[in-house]
Amino acid sequence: MRRTIALTLSSTRDLFSGSNEAGLMILAKIITLGKGLLFNVLGFGVLVGIWYIVSLITKEALPTPVATFSVFWELVKDPFYDYGPNDKGIGLQLGSSIVRVFSGFLLGAMIAIPMGLLIGASSFCKKMFYPIVQVLKPVSPLAWFPIGLVAFESASKATIFIIFITSLWPTLINTAFGVASLPSDHKNVAKAFGFSRWKYLTKVLLPYSFPHIITGLRLSIGVAWLVIVAGEMLSGGIGIGFFVWDSWNALSLEKVISAILIIGIVGLILDKGFSWLEKKVTYEA
Amino acid sequence: MISIQNIEIAFNTPKGKFVAVKDINLEIKKGEIVSIIGHSGCGKSTILNAVSGMVFPTKGKVLLNNKEVKGPGPDRGIVFQNYSLLPWLNVEENIYQAVDAALPSKTKTDKRDLVEKYLRMVNLWDHREKHPKQISGGMKQRTAIARAFAIDPDVLLLDEPFGALDALTKGSLHIELLKMWNLTQRSKTIVMVTHDIEEAIFLSDRIVVMNNGPAATIREIEEVHLPRPRNKKEIVNLEEYKIIRERLLNLLMDKVEIDEEDFYKEKAA
Ligand SMILES: Nc1ncnc2c1ncn2[C@@H]1O[C@H](COP(=O)(O)OP(=O)(O)OP(=O)(O)O)[C@@H](O)[C@H]1O
Ligand SMILES: [Mg+2]
Repeated sequence: MRRTIALTLSSTRDLFSGSNEAGLMILAKIITLGKGLLFNVLGFGVLVGIWYIVSLITKEALPTPVATFSVFWELVKDPFYDYGPNDKGIGLQLGSSIVRVFSGFLLGAMIAIPMGLLIGASSFCKKMFYPIVQVLKPVSPLAWFPIGLVAFESASKATIFIIFITSLWPTLINTAFGVASLPSDHKNVAKAFGFSRWKYLTKVLLPYSFPHIITGLRLSIGVAWLVIVAGEMLSGGIGIGFFVWDSWNALSLEKVISAILIIGIVGLILDKGFSWLEKKVTYEA
Repeated sequence: MISIQNIEIAFNTPKGKFVAVKDINLEIKKGEIVSIIGHSGCGKSTILNAVSGMVFPTKGKVLLNNKEVKGPGPDRGIVFQNYSLLPWLNVEENIYQAVDAALPSKTKTDKRDLVEKYLRMVNLWDHREKHPKQISGGMKQRTAIARAFAIDPDVLLLDEPFGALDALTKGSLHIELLKMWNLTQRSKTIVMVTHDIEEAIFLSDRIVVMNNGPAATIREIEEVHLPRPRNKKEIVNLEEYKIIRERLLNLLMDKVEIDEEDFYKEKAA
């Protein structure tokens, strides 16, 4: 009798200490998260502080943080209004930029990945095409804009065209590099067991290169997002880049700074998305 | 069956041509088990790779069934020294993909059954869903063994296949190897690289002892006439076993003795 009581007692104690431990773990996690957040807030706080001082010194030629944030709030409060071609909400502007970036980016990936596979796998293709890549890669994508205009007779399509060109190189080069760095051990397995071309491609080459390809795509989308702003400044119409240009013409630096913030945040989200994908496809070697 | 005719294998290195092995002559009959033994770096893997078709001799040639070896093929099952599993496939898929490629005429169920049979043979059926990263060196080695056996090749080329295994597992895989060899009417030819003298004697019909490299040659070929089936515990008491063991030890160890003499001289001085 006594014994059973002792047993239940000790087991309940175990139970408690168990849940206690779990509780502590969660608490510890919250604390580390909170600490991280605190540092982030601190960093931004310093930035906003400097900004404030600069705007005071320049007698508000640079708008103050407060003025900017109230404009920012106006912008994001109603992001999807549409009052005709020259007055659209920031959400619509952003949306059209994102659609353009992804159209160009996907087109680019569709060309870059197969080309990268070819250049990486065959020294013949490498000798033939790699010099072309090397010459075209350093060219600013904006230089392609006139060619896009001539070819597509539309500023909007020309913007997609420069995004397409921009997206090509990082993906192509990373894919080629991934394929070329395939260890001979893996190749030997395919040779020794007589893998067909298809099996070699799908079970050896692609799984090995996949993380490299995703890294290339991540770099591509990053550059594409950089280029879209400049591209839309040239092309006009609608888009976050055009919005920046339009706000500058309307002499609203508050809007320009707000747009910069939004561009930065969207860029960060894109990058995080691809980083996440990168982690997902990376096998453990 | 396998005929290695006066081959030399050299590699191009930044410092120029490096001759790994030369003047290698070896005839291996169908169904024979031959071990290659020698010090690290003498060129054992290199010779095995010439038979598998992974490297090509710079002189001489390798014939397999009277045909010159022009590359690897599924008639030869290879266990690579570094296992060479594909890290993105789990244990089962590593074997299945090899079986699927090497035996295209079999049905899918047959292939899956084969994979299961050999995974059970090496005691990895319960670990079939793990990836190479998640298993030990010995388990990787057993996966590689199962993969080579599962394609049912005429020739098995094993590069230190039991090197990373503990004595017990090693022993049971020796038995499995011989069992499989017996089940196929001793028709499979097995060429194996090893560092383990006892293992070589227990398994082999002949043991090829290599000289040290560079430009290593065959030092001697020992014949092992121990009766089969062999029992590990019994053969160690046979006179012939002891003689062969002694001879192999002498062939491989003479360098060590010279060092010891030097050691004593230094002490005396
Ligand atoms: N691809 C290569 N390029 C240049 N040299 C090589 C190459 N492969 C092997 N060698 C050299 O050939 C020699 C024999 O190598 P090999 O791998 O056959 O040795 P091994 O007898 O199998 O050694 P171990 O017992 O350590 O596995 C070594 O000196 C090695 O450096
Ligand atoms: Mg070796």
